[in-house]
Amino acid sequence: MLMPPFILHHPSTVEEACKISAELIKKGEDFDWVSGGTDLLANYKWRINTKPHVISLSNIPGIDSVSNLEIGCMARLSSLEGSNVHPMIAEAAGKVASSLIRKSATLGGNLCLDTRCFWYNQSEDWRRSIDWCHKADCGTGSDCRVIPNQNTLCVATYQGDIAPVLMVLGASVHLIGPNGERVMPLSEFYQLDGMKKNVLEKGEFLLKVTLPKDSMKRIGSYQKLRVRDSWDFPEAGVAVSWLEGDKGSIKVATTALESIPREHKEEVSQIIAEGWDDKSVKALAGAIRKSVKPVNNTALPPNYRRSVVQVLVKRAFSQIK
Amino acid sequence: MVGTEYVPMTPKAAKEIWSAKVNGESVEELITSNAILLDVLRDQVGTLGVKRGCDLGTCGCCTVIIDGDARLSCLCLAGQVAGSEITTVEGLSEGAHLAPIQSCFAEHGGSQCGFCTPGFLLSAQALLTENDSPSDKEISCAIEGNLCRCTGYQQIVDSIKAAAEIHRGEAEPVQPASNPHPNPHPEGPDQPSMPPGHAR
Amino acid sequence: MSAGYRQQPNSARKDGKRVAGKQVFPPPGSGGSDPVMKERDLNFIPESVGGKEPQPAGSHIHDRIRTGTVIGKPLPLVDSNAKVTGQAWYGDDVRLANESIGKILRSPHHYAKIISIDTSKVEALPGVIAVATGADSPHSFGVLPVTKDEHAMAVEKVRHMGDLVACVSAVDEATAIEALGLFEIEWELLEPVFDPKKGLEDHDDPIHWRGKYHLAKTNVQKRVFQEFGDRSLVENPFSSSHGKWTMAGVHHGFTEPHAVVAHWDPNGRLQLYTPQQVPHYTHRALSTVLDVPMHQINVIRTFVGGGFGGKSDPFPHEMCAAILARKSGRPVRITFDREEVYWINRGRHPSNIEVKMTADDEGRISGFDIDALIDGGGFASFGHVTSYYNGVLATAPYELGSFHYTGARVWTNKPASGAMRGHGAVNTRCAVEVGLDEMAEEMNVDPIDLRLANLLPPHSRTITGFRITSNGMREALERVREGSNWDEKFRKLPLGKGIGIGCGFFISGSGLPIHWDPNRFPHATVHIQVDMDGGVTVHTGAADIGQGSTTAVAQVVSEVLALPIEMIHVRSHESDTSPVDLGSYSSRVTFMNANAAIRAALDIREKLLDAAWDILGYHPNTLIINDRRIYYKHDPAIGVSYLQALHKAQEDKGALISSGSYRSPPMGGVHKGAAAGLAPAYSFSAYVAEVDVDIELGLIKCTNVWAAHDCGKALNPLAVKGQIIGSCHMGLGQVLSEKMVYGRTGHLQNANLLEYKIPSIHEMPHVEPIIVESSDPEGPFGAKEAGEGPLLPILPAVVNAVYDAIGIRYNDLPLTPDIIFKGVEKKRKKLKLEEATELPSPRFTHGPKSIELQKSLMKRSQEHKKRDLARQKTEDTSPYVNGVLFGFDPNIPLEDQVEGWRMATEPDPEQLAELGLAGRAWLKKEQRQMESEK
Ligand SMILES: Cc1cc2nc3c(=O)[nH]c(=O)nc-3n(C[C@H](O)[C@H](O)[C@H](O)COP(=O)(O)OP(=O)(O)OC[C@H]3O[C@@H](n4cnc5c(N)ncnc54)[C@H](O)[C@@H]3O)c2cc1C
Ligand code: SF4
Ligand code: FES
Ligand code: FES
Repeated sequence: MLMPPFILHHPSTVEEACKISAELIKKGEDFDWVSGGTDLLANYKWRINTKPHVISLSNIPGIDSVSNLEIGCMARLSSLEGSNVHPMIAEAAGKVASSLIRKSATLGGNLCLDTRCFWYNQSEDWRRSIDWCHKADCGTGSDCRVIPNQNTLCVATYQGDIAPVLMVLGASVHLIGPNGERVMPLSEFYQLDGMKKNVLEKGEFLLKVTLPKDSMKRIGSYQKLRVRDSWDFPEAGVAVSWLEGDKGSIKVATTALESIPREHKEEVSQIIAEGWDDKSVKALAGAIRKSVKPVNNTALPPNYRRSVVQVLVKRAFSQIK
Repeated sequence: MVGTEYVPMTPKAAKEIWSAKVNGESVEELITSNAILLDVLRDQVGTLGVKRGCDLGTCGCCTVIIDGDARLSCLCLAGQVAGSEITTVEGLSEGAHLAPIQSCFAEHGGSQCGFCTPGFLLSAQALLTENDSPSDKEISCAIEGNLCRCTGYQQIVDSIKAAAEIHRGEAEPVQPASNPHPNPHPEGPDQPSMPPGHAR
Repeated sequence: MSAGYRQQPNSARKDGKRVAGKQVFPPPGSGGSDPVMKERDLNFIPESVGGKEPQPAGSHIHDRIRTGTVIGKPLPLVDSNAKVTGQAWYGDDVRLANESIGKILRSPHHYAKIISIDTSKVEALPGVIAVATGADSPHSFGVLPVTKDEHAMAVEKVRHMGDLVACVSAVDEATAIEALGLFEIEWELLEPVFDPKKGLEDHDDPIHWRGKYHLAKTNVQKRVFQEFGDRSLVENPFSSSHGKWTMAGVHHGFTEPHAVVAHWDPNGRLQLYTPQQVPHYTHRALSTVLDVPMHQINVIRTFVGGGFGGKSDPFPHEMCAAILARKSGRPVRITFDREEVYWINRGRHPSNIEVKMTADDEGRISGFDIDALIDGGGFASFGHVTSYYNGVLATAPYELGSFHYTGARVWTNKPASGAMRGHGAVNTRCAVEVGLDEMAEEMNVDPIDLRLANLLPPHSRTITGFRITSNGMREALERVREGSNWDEKFRKLPLGKGIGIGCGFFISGSGLPIHWDPNRFPHATVHIQVDMDGGVTVHTGAADIGQGSTTAVAQVVSEVLALPIEMIHVRSHESDTSPVDLGSYSSRVTFMNANAAIRAALDIREKLLDAAWDILGYHPNTLIINDRRIYYKHDPAIGVSYLQALHKAQEDKGALISSGSYRSPPMGGVHKGAAAGLAPAYSFSAYVAEVDVDIELGLIKCTNVWAAHDCGKALNPLAVKGQIIGSCHMGLGQVLSEKMVYGRTGHLQNANLLEYKIPSIHEMPHVEPIIVESSDPEGPFGAKEAGEGPLLPILPAVVNAVYDAIGIRYNDLPLTPDIIFKGVEKKRKKLKLEEATELPSPRFTHGPKSIELQKSLMKRSQEHKKRDLARQKTEDTSPYVNGVLFGFDPNIPLEDQVEGWRMATEPDPEQLAELGLAGRAWLKKEQRQMESEK
């Protein structure tokens, strides 16, 4: 599959990266970031929303650091697996794709993963034959194929594995761009739309992830549902963690059920803020089941994915007892 | 590309000089800025042992070793690995001498149609270089990104285990099915070499 | 004097006849790297000719030509060094000077008429070299002579999304892709058909038109009706089962995408490089499509990166490359993306299968009704045959009271289905084996015992008249039962864990070469040529697709001539040099080509022995042919080297040349369709699978498989095991996760290897391959097939194991977690349970009656075991036909013994109303009948 033409830029410092992006914006030229490329290049080969410029972050030294409080965006998932980061992160990273992909894949790319949909992750010929869709409409103004007749929202599914884990560990993301750096909790990073995906402004990229000091004390569990234990994206994922004994510290997040990974603060505070047992976990599982809204655009049907979220929640809690 | 139905494939991206060490030799190629490593290796460097099975990261046929890591060349921009050391299947053997992993794959049925074989060999080689006594789990994790439709993996795992034994020095390298260089002078160089069937 | 070649026994000879070592021997002079003759390996010489190889199934006609060289020894594939060094050249690795890149324009519509194609803009694009459309390829082709319904590019209409419309070649890929966007095409959209059930109905524009044989205005491509046996046995059954199955289409999933290189050489001959399983059909089709005689075409089979049936049709892209190359005078290379691989498909048919079975109070299978509606997609491909196979290949290994089959294959606007490993037999086999399990459950007997008490013996005939020769079914069942510790586990494991059984039966080579009369031309031909250097060149058209056919052919030649395998060079790539061969399908290569190769090698062997006779003065009957040396039986010291004998034999002739061929014996019935499923031998297999079911999530993990396969004789145990394990992998994919998903718009939603879920190493159970050797009387050294049959049993074994684990029967394949989950929820709600983990596990509920039945089954199978052994060793050669179990006399035609013994290939008018889903095709009339009524 031939790559559509683009110019690859290789900045060697963060500043240079910001400069290149600023210049391209000024010239009105569109571009994408690329880290490991395992997600972006697949989409480009399918000629989905390709851009004339791509800026690679791989030549910038120092942004691949891995420690238990800070992980750089270019940290390879394979280097997270066996490292001293929180075991949940290592575990979730180890469940991404396949070992070969994890040698290339990065944390930044994983968090900024494009949302997925089987009307969208298809070749150009294929998409032309359904007359495109809203997210990659090629100027035709096409409708969404999953939820038609709305034409405003894309409900493609976010299927990254690591975001929910980082969320329940209370991680923050550092974004940097021509207009400077900003920091925010990861749970506020994502934006509910399969096209916009997150709060990144044009020209900004995700520089690193930092974790609160007490995060290493958290114990937790990440449950990933997938058909094959290699390659497959999560069809549903649930992460749970807490500071052992501290009832108020419980965090629960889900992934692969909607356009964004989501922390379930409301359900947690309503149902198990006062501590938890089998019964209340069950209630929580039921509430989460109600609150997530998977749609039919991944390998397994949405009602199934929705139902088994309850099992995943239950299992995650049984792991941290 | 908003506004056009087809993504234009021409004009091609600007070209740049790309250099790397492929199988121990320095190569320099004029590549397009957007080139994928797999395409460069197959179409320009000429290492056709690197196979294209899916082009999308799901078969592992295109695996190469880049600076010690087994990675997929189909999801790798050549520009991002400029200057690296790249090993393809062609670089595993030394001349006619097969690497242990290669002869073990032949010996233990690790290769049937052979299309996935280069990828498996490189994943396995990267594993064995790091760890010459891998557990079953470690072996299966190392090759979980490689798809084989013929063997059902079992004989591939056998092959890797056998190669690990050789790496550890516990077993002798298997002789290839046919020795490519039989000694032509079994009775010493001054004797005529095996006259075809006539009594001397 | 060569030290290695003095045949000097260590001790003095007892008979004192000759003193060894008196003679001076020449050095071997050739042959591999070892100057020393290897001793005869008695462990690999059969008992019947004085060796030590056990022969539980008795002797074999090929025993006397065994030399103990390679047969039966685990051997690496002869081309494995090319594969492990990356030097094996597959389709896309053929790079010719001055090549151009071809791309194919594919239909964006499911079903549409092409009103016009304007190529002027394409031609004007700089860098475009040649353009072709359907107008350049008016001739139709197809793999079967009866259904030639394909064109290189759409002529009048496109029949599925991805169908070929036009093609271009250009200086590079980018230009070629760019050019595809410049075609201007006017379409007239037609109403597509996706649901095979709709295919049975009339349509304004049937996808193909068969002229007077067209069935009304439906999309039925082929219908089959077969009814055999005593239908009265079906009434008032003691036990019965009924399964209605929906099975998704699956794809071969070979790792190498299709690729082709075409080049017209300066002499005007076409050189076409393609990874083909059946180069000969491509050869024929090219000749038709290009209007060029076959001898002006050289089809060069590259290494084939997996086939499994998916590379056995002549393909339109092969024609496209040839057409573009002819137009431009430049070599053209076309390589598929993975998506295009799915569009050309030819995978297993999506199927709706209904199986009804009945048993009588003695546990005999009295009724066996199958209805199979299969979804053929846009073209016929092998579908004609598939339509038969779905029924007839289920008629063994059991003895049946009656057999009733209705099948229909319909065209739909989807990529064409075709032949895939286990062609046509896999889906019904699954339904049938699960049905048996259900009956065993209802009768409360052990399903293995039920099977063992109903097996056809060796040397018998099935209900539809297939000739069974060797039959290792019983041994296979017994060995998996023992290996898996079945009796300790079945119906005794805790909830979520289960064990299940499944059997298989498959053809070892199709009895009828579809392109010519088997009475005039042989199925397979092999040429051997031995030149002065002693190297043996074998020419065969057998296409090695990774199954090791080249190795098998080299092996048998090596064995017959007792030469090291590295002295045998198999040339099988080019149609210019290889004799015509039907290629690698229907598991025919080992059986037919190896037989042909044996014959050719025997010819050479005879000439060598005659020459040795000339030199030594001992009659060939007293000579032993061993590793590069022929010597006197009673004194190895007297002998000649291989080369001496060879050169003697070559005097006056130059090279030694021989040709051997194989043709199957005349067999089979005379009814319509009797030839479908006929084979010179059949393979048998039995698997036990163990599964873990995550009952809350619905995820199934297969943990262990005991896989016994009767391959007659394992010529190369390493390869046979590889085939068995590989088949398990492929079958597991179909039963657990693989499916071609067609969405609500009829689009194939998962044309990539991420969403088309082939099991990874983590999904692979531990497989214990068990080789059963029944020594087929006609097979090469007793061998039968091992490439396709081993796939069949894994599906039902897993489905049955899932039942054993959670007590729920599933009739949808694949068993994806959502399907399992749905079943569990339904049952949980029905039983009013709180948690799925409280479901009951299935257990035996023996009553006096079932204990009685169980005992009688075991007794019967013990008796049959003795019967089978005697027949296998041909101590008992009395005729046996299906029906003897029901008390019929095999010596009298069955129809004379019972009134109502049927042998029908068309339904009776009064039957029409009660036919199954596919049977409804019989409600329609052919055009010619409709016309004659007018
Ligand atoms: C076969 C296959 C299976 C996969 N399975 C899984 C899976 O199971 N789970 C899973 O989570 N993922 C999976 N992935 C997706 C992907 O490999 C991983 O998510 C990976 O971590 C992405 O990282 P990358 O560096 O390769 O991303 P890239 O491809 O480089 O980037 C991905 C996206 O993020 C943007 N981006 C990259 N870096 C930054 C940054 N620093 N700041 C802002 N934007 C950025 C890019 O522009 C692009 O849009 C799979 C991919 C494949 C091909
Ligand atoms: S959810 Fe709708 S808009 Fe988004 S990718 Fe899928 S079809 Fe397109
Ligand atoms: S070609 Fe790279 S993984 Fe398949
Ligand atoms: S050997 Fe054929 S795919 Fe692995």
